[in-house]
Amino acid sequence: MIGSVVAVFSFEWKRALTLPRKAWWLVLAAFPVFIAGLVRFTAVNHENGPEGLWRHLSTWLLFALVPMLVAMLGTLLWTTPAISSELERRSWVYLAVRPHGATAVLLGKYLAAVTWVIPPALVGLTIAVPLTGTGDSWRVWRALSGLVFLSCPAYAAIYLLLGVIFPRRAMVVAVAYTLVFELVVSFIPAVINKMTVQYRLRALAANWCDLNVFNTRESGAMALIGTEPPWHHIVTLVCLTFVLVAAAVVVLRAREFSSSADSDT
Amino acid sequence: MIELKNVTKLYGKVIGVNDFTLTLEPGAYGLLGPNGSGKSTLLNLITGQLRPTLGTVRILGRSPRNNARLFRQLGYCPGGEGMYSDVTGYDWVRYLQRLHGMTVHEADSAAKSSLALVGMEAAMNRPISSYSRGMRQRTKLAQAIAHNPEFLILDEPFNGLDPIGRHELTNVLRDWIGQGKSLLFASHLLHEIESITHSFLLICGGRLLASGTAEEVHTMMVGLPNEIELKCSDPYCLASRLMGERVADSVRIVEGLLTVATQQPQRLYEQLPVWLAESNVKVTEMRSADESLQALFNSLMKMHRGEL
Repeated sequence: MIGSVVAVFSFEWKRALTLPRKAWWLVLAAFPVFIAGLVRFTAVNHENGPEGLWRHLSTWLLFALVPMLVAMLGTLLWTTPAISSELERRSWVYLAVRPHGATAVLLGKYLAAVTWVIPPALVGLTIAVPLTGTGDSWRVWRALSGLVFLSCPAYAAIYLLLGVIFPRRAMVVAVAYTLVFELVVSFIPAVINKMTVQYRLRALAANWCDLNVFNTRESGAMALIGTEPPWHHIVTLVCLTFVLVAAAVVVLRAREFSSSADSDT
Repeated sequence: MIELKNVTKLYGKVIGVNDFTLTLEPGAYGLLGPNGSGKSTLLNLITGQLRPTLGTVRILGRSPRNNARLFRQLGYCPGGEGMYSDVTGYDWVRYLQRLHGMTVHEADSAAKSSLALVGMEAAMNRPISSYSRGMRQRTKLAQAIAHNPEFLILDEPFNGLDPIGRHELTNVLRDWIGQGKSLLFASHLLHEIESITHSFLLICGGRLLASGTAEEVHTMMVGLPNEIELKCSDPYCLASRLMGERVADSVRIVEGLLTVATQQPQRLYEQLPVWLAESNVKVTEMRSADESLQALFNSLMKMHRGEL
């Protein structure tokens, strides 16, 4: 079983070394650098603002760009179609009639996607952090890198599960989920936002980077980052990732994936 | 080896397989049926890709769903293409063998030897996208046999193959059977199956119509009217003669085409030249509709419905 997962992982990585995928890798790495550079270029007189404001704004910007957008976009593109792409090209049956083949393909592709997305996120972060001139670049880089290692597996697990549950509309459902839950619901100051990955990452970013913009009970914005300690968020994210991946495996094994109904019955 | 009990598979309101009961001992079998007859659904049920709506499927005594032990003994060549076009045939076959739990070295060796066996040694390092349809069929067969399974299931494996390719792969499959291994070979062409095995399963409309050897199936048909079509210079005269000789059960003439239904085809074939000569009737075309596979299915379906 582990050997099969490793086989899928290495095969997928070999297939990922094509020119279009390398180009996507570069786009993902360049995206935060480009945006951070533009912002820095526009805000040339940022030193004149209130003390600490630029640091807070630029760190939140980096958070939004790397552990959020790059991680979401990268994992959405590579994890969501893990099964649907095999069904569309009708290669699924070749894989599914191998011992533990379906599970190995799912897990191997998941690991390949996560390890494919983390490097461009880190490269982009490494270049973008000093570009913003926050003053404590090392601390911000360290915190946001840690978030990358939590966000990529978590988002990949969500998209993996959605792709298994809705193989025929996987991308549409994944984009809808991202827009509705991770970008809207996560900002609703109510208990429901605690169900999103975004809430956990945001709380960790605020804590690790000492971003106290919302960190006043009087502001009424505490619900956006919560009061839980960092370990609580980390454990929640790690457990959530494992539970989602396990759920994807269970759903995959229970489902019927056959194109017979579409072709020759 | 294969045991299906009252298996029905529904796709919504569409019936894929209908109340299918079958027990097969180890051996080589041809699964014969026209397009859309339910062959692929049956194979998907046997390989555990589908779950029966009703009934039970047992392969080697166990359910095939998510059955890793069964998959180790099973080789499957699907009907569709479905291979990764951006990798080489060698990489594809090797990858699938790795999924069988082989080490890199074992998978290398198995992929090379199976591709060589199906005549793909020279082209195995080319991308699959550059392969002809026949080469893809050979590669599909190679991935199915590379891990040396005990039981091989092939869905229309000769599609797109040229006559030489068919001959070569026929020999490969005959050797396979000769090693005492089991084979289930699905096709809609009788002669393809006859070249491999003489044991048939005839399926149509999702139902098992008949099973046995070709002789056994034909024996079932004895006593059923055969239809023979004749184009001749004087169909009315010939029809009259055939009725007079009491060899025809019924005759029908439509636009000069005489259709004769007979339960004595042998006698008719033997005597027809004499009767034609005596009646001075010239035949320009003669065809036994019942020789076609579809006619055989039609007759079996009528038998099944109690119309014959």
